[in-house]
Amino acid sequence: MIRIFHNTTFHFLKHWRTAAIATALFIAAGLVTYATSGGPNYSIEFTGGTLMQVQFKQKPDVAVIRSTLDEGGVSGAEIQQFGTEFDYTIRARDAKQVESQAAGAEGVSKTIEKLLKAKFGDVTVGRTEAVGPKVGSELRSGAIKAMLLASLFTLIYLAIRFDWRFGLAAVLSTSHDILVTMAFIKLLNIEVSLTVVAAILTLLGYSANDTIIIFDRVRENLRKPRKGETLGQILDRSINETLPRSIMTHATTLAATLALLIFAGEVIRPFAWVMAFGVFVATFSSIYVAGPLLMFIESRYPREAGEAQSRAMRAGGTEPTPPTPPTNRPRGGDRLATR
Amino acid sequence: MANLKYRLLLIVGLLAVSAWSLFPRNVVERVKRNGVFVYDTVQRVPLKRGLDLQGGMHLELEIDESKQAVADKSEALDRALKVVRQRIDEFGVAEPLVQKAGDNRIIVELPGIDDPERALELVQKSAFLEFQITDKTQALERVIPRFDEIARTAGITAANAKTAGGDTAKSVGVTSLLTQKADSGKDSTGKAVASTTSDSAGAKPADKPVAGGLFASNVQPGQMPGQYFVPEAAFAAIDQALQLPALLDAMPPGKVMRWGVDSIGEPGARAYALYVLDARAIIQGDALTDARPSTDPVEGNVVQFTLNNEGARRFKSETGKHVGDNMAIVLDQRVVTAPVLNSAIGRNGQITLGGGSLQQAQDLALVLRAGALPVPLKVAQYGTIGASLGADSVSKGVLALSLAMGLVVVILIGYYRFAGMLAVGALVLYLVYTMAMLAGFHAVLTLPGLAGFVLSVGIAVDANVLIFERIREELDHGKSVRLAIDEGFRHALSAIVDTSATTILSGMVLYQYGTGPVRGFAVTLVAGLVASLFTAIFVSKTFFLVWLNRSRGVQTLSI
Repeated sequence: MIRIFHNTTFHFLKHWRTAAIATALFIAAGLVTYATSGGPNYSIEFTGGTLMQVQFKQKPDVAVIRSTLDEGGVSGAEIQQFGTEFDYTIRARDAKQVESQAAGAEGVSKTIEKLLKAKFGDVTVGRTEAVGPKVGSELRSGAIKAMLLASLFTLIYLAIRFDWRFGLAAVLSTSHDILVTMAFIKLLNIEVSLTVVAAILTLLGYSANDTIIIFDRVRENLRKPRKGETLGQILDRSINETLPRSIMTHATTLAATLALLIFAGEVIRPFAWVMAFGVFVATFSSIYVAGPLLMFIESRYPREAGEAQSRAMRAGGTEPTPPTPPTNRPRGGDRLATR
Repeated sequence: MANLKYRLLLIVGLLAVSAWSLFPRNVVERVKRNGVFVYDTVQRVPLKRGLDLQGGMHLELEIDESKQAVADKSEALDRALKVVRQRIDEFGVAEPLVQKAGDNRIIVELPGIDDPERALELVQKSAFLEFQITDKTQALERVIPRFDEIARTAGITAANAKTAGGDTAKSVGVTSLLTQKADSGKDSTGKAVASTTSDSAGAKPADKPVAGGLFASNVQPGQMPGQYFVPEAAFAAIDQALQLPALLDAMPPGKVMRWGVDSIGEPGARAYALYVLDARAIIQGDALTDARPSTDPVEGNVVQFTLNNEGARRFKSETGKHVGDNMAIVLDQRVVTAPVLNSAIGRNGQITLGGGSLQQAQDLALVLRAGALPVPLKVAQYGTIGASLGADSVSKGVLALSLAMGLVVVILIGYYRFAGMLAVGALVLYLVYTMAMLAGFHAVLTLPGLAGFVLSVGIAVDANVLIFERIREELDHGKSVRLAIDEGFRHALSAIVDTSATTILSGMVLYQYGTGPVRGFAVTLVAGLVASLFTAIFVSKTFFLVWLNRSRGVQTLSI
C-alpha cells in the first residue's frame, strides 16, 4: 500500500499569521494593479464591442493592420496574435465603437472585414463576436448576481447542514478566494469572459468542497473529542486526517486541468489558468483561511458544550450519543443556528 | 444475496437504458439541399454539438424602440418571432433555433451557416404583406413555351441545376447566370436568392436533357386558378430560372409569380406551390389594423380582420370586382394562403379556413398582424464561428479529455491498486451515465461544456478518494475488511453529499444566469455531479460487495 502524508501531525493553524500576511500581500498586489491600471480586462461580452479572429494567408504586419483599420474609421482597435503567426484577434471596443453598436451590433465587424479584405485580399474570418452596450452591462450585472447568489445558497445550505459558524467561516473563506482569484486574474492580465466567470464559480464550488470536507471531519471529531483537546487541536487533527485525500484529489484535478491548459486550445486556456490556480487557492484557503476563521468565530460566539454534540448529531451523525437538550441561548446567532 | 442481485440489476438496467439512449439512431432532419427543403434521415449519436463546436452563427435580436415606443412588447415579440421563424426556414438551416429571451429579445442560432450577411438581412427586414388576386386567365400556360426557350438559352435544366456547384459551374451559361444572380439579389423585389450553387452537396449527376422543356414538363396546374405545383426535383431549376431577367421580361404584363410558403405531399414526393398573381396589390399590410382568430359556429375556425378607412374603401371596390376569385395573402413575397372571396369586403373581413385548426387560425392572424405592424428589430449581439474552428475545438477538447482520463486512471490504479481498478470501472459507468443524461436532456455540448465534463471527472474521482481514504483509516483502526468497507462508505457519505449539493446549487445558479456556452458548462457540471453521486455511493459500493461476496473470509484488501 502506497501512502502519502499518512498519520501526519502538522500544526497548520500555528502558521495562520504567516498565511494571513502572505495572502493579504497577494490581494494587496492585485488591488494595487487594479488601482494603477484600472479595472479587470473584461472581454467584449461585458464591455460591448467587436471581437474578430482572422486568419491571414501571409504573415501580416501588425502596424499595417492597425493603419488600415485606423484609416477605415475603426480607430484604437487592439490587435493581438492568437495561436499561430497567421492568426490574429482584433478587438474594437472604445466608447465610440460600442456606442455605434446600439443601433446594430454587427456594423463594426462588417466594416473591419471589408477593410481587411480590401487590404490583404484573402482573409478568413474564423470567429466574430459583436455585443451591443446594453447586453454587455446586463451580462456584467448577471455575473455579479450569480456569484452573490451562489455564495448565499452555500451559506444557507451549510447553516442547515452544519451550523452558522461553519457556514460563515466557509463563505468568508470563499470570499477570500474570489479576492485572491481576481488579483491573480489581474496580475496575469487574463481576459474576464463569461467562461472565466464560469471558472471562478467552479473554483468557488471546488474550494467550498475542500472546506466542507475538512469541516465534515471537524464535525465528526467534535462529536468525540479527545480529552483536553481544544478546538484548534481538533481542527489541526481534522486537517491532518483528511490530508491524504486532499493531496490525492488535488493531484488528479490538477492533472486534468493541466491537460486542459496544454491541449484544449486558446479559447479554453483562460478558463484552465483560473482552474489551475484554483486548485492551489482551494487547498490554501480550506486550511489556512477557513480553519482560523472558524476558530475566530468560535472564540467570539462560543457554543455550549452540549450544543456542539446535538448539532453534530442532527447534521448527519450516526453515533448513538443521546443529544443533550439545548440550554437557553442568549444570542441571536444561536437562534439562527437552531433553525 | 438478494440485496446484491437487485443492486446489480439496477446498475445493469441503467447501463442498458444509457447505452440505448446514446446509440446512433435515425433522426429526421429538415435540410436544404440544392436549394430545396428535404426531409432527410441521418444516423447519428443523439448528442447535439453547440455552435462553438460545429460552427455557425448566433444572433440576439432586440425590439428597436429608438424611433417609437412599442406598447405591447410581449405581443409584438410573438409576432416578430413568427416572422423571423418563417424567414429562417426559408434560409434553410438543418436545426435552427429561434426562441424568445426575456421580454424583448429573440435568440436565433443557425448552426453551420456560412453566409452571415444574408441571414442578417433576412432576419432584419421588416415584414411586407400584400393582398393579391390570383390569375385566372391562364396567363402562364400561354408563355410556357417562351419560358422554356429562355431557360434553355440560359442553360438551366432540372438536371444541371442540381450539379451547378460542381463541374458545370465552369460552363459559360451557368457562370453568367451566377453573376446575374449576384446582381438580382439586391434588386427591388427584395427576394432573397437561394444560393443553389453552394448548397449542392450530394448532387446526383444526371445529364439526360428534359424532354418538353423545363416548365412544360414540370409545372402542373393546381386546384385553384393561378395555382401550380412543381415537383421537388425541379424546384431548384425553376426557382433559378425565375430569377432570370429575360424571363421576368417575358412575364405576361401585370402578372407576377410567387412561391407558396410550404410544400405538400409526402417526403420524397413533395410538390411546391407556385402562384401567378396580379402584380398590383389590392391593399398592403399598412391598411390592416387588426386580425384575430375566432370560431364561427357555421364556418369553423376563421380569422377576422379590420382595415383602416382608406384600405376599407379600396378593398370594397376591388373585392366587389373579384367575387368568386381567389385572393392570395402574400407575406414577404411568399403566398401564405389564397382564400376565395365570397363577397365584397369592407372594413371588416373574415377568412374562412375550411376546417383548419384553431392553431392555424392563430398563426394566420399572427402573419396578418406581423405584416400590419412590423416591429423593427435590431441586433443586440452577433457572433459567427467558422466550421473549421469548431472542428479544431472538438479535436482539441477530445484530446484534452482523453488525456485527463488517462492520467486519472494511471493515478488511481497506481495508488489504490485493486480498489483503484474498481474505481476506474465505476468511472467508466459514470461517463456513460453522464453522456446519457446529457442526451436525455437534449443538452448541447459546447467547449466550456467539455471543460465542465473534465472537472466533474475530477469530482467523481474525489468521491472515490474520500471513500478509499476512509476505508484505509478504518483498516488502520484494526477493523476487519468487511467492516472497514462498510464504515468507510458510511462515514464518507456525508462529506460527498454536502460537497455535491453545494456544487449542484452553484451549477443551477450558473444555469439561471448564464447564456449559451456557460449554460452548456452548467448542464454538464450538474449532470456529471448527479452521476458521480450515484456511481460513488452506489456503484462503487456494489463492486466492493460483489468482491466481498466472491472472496469470503478475506483478510486483506488491496487499497
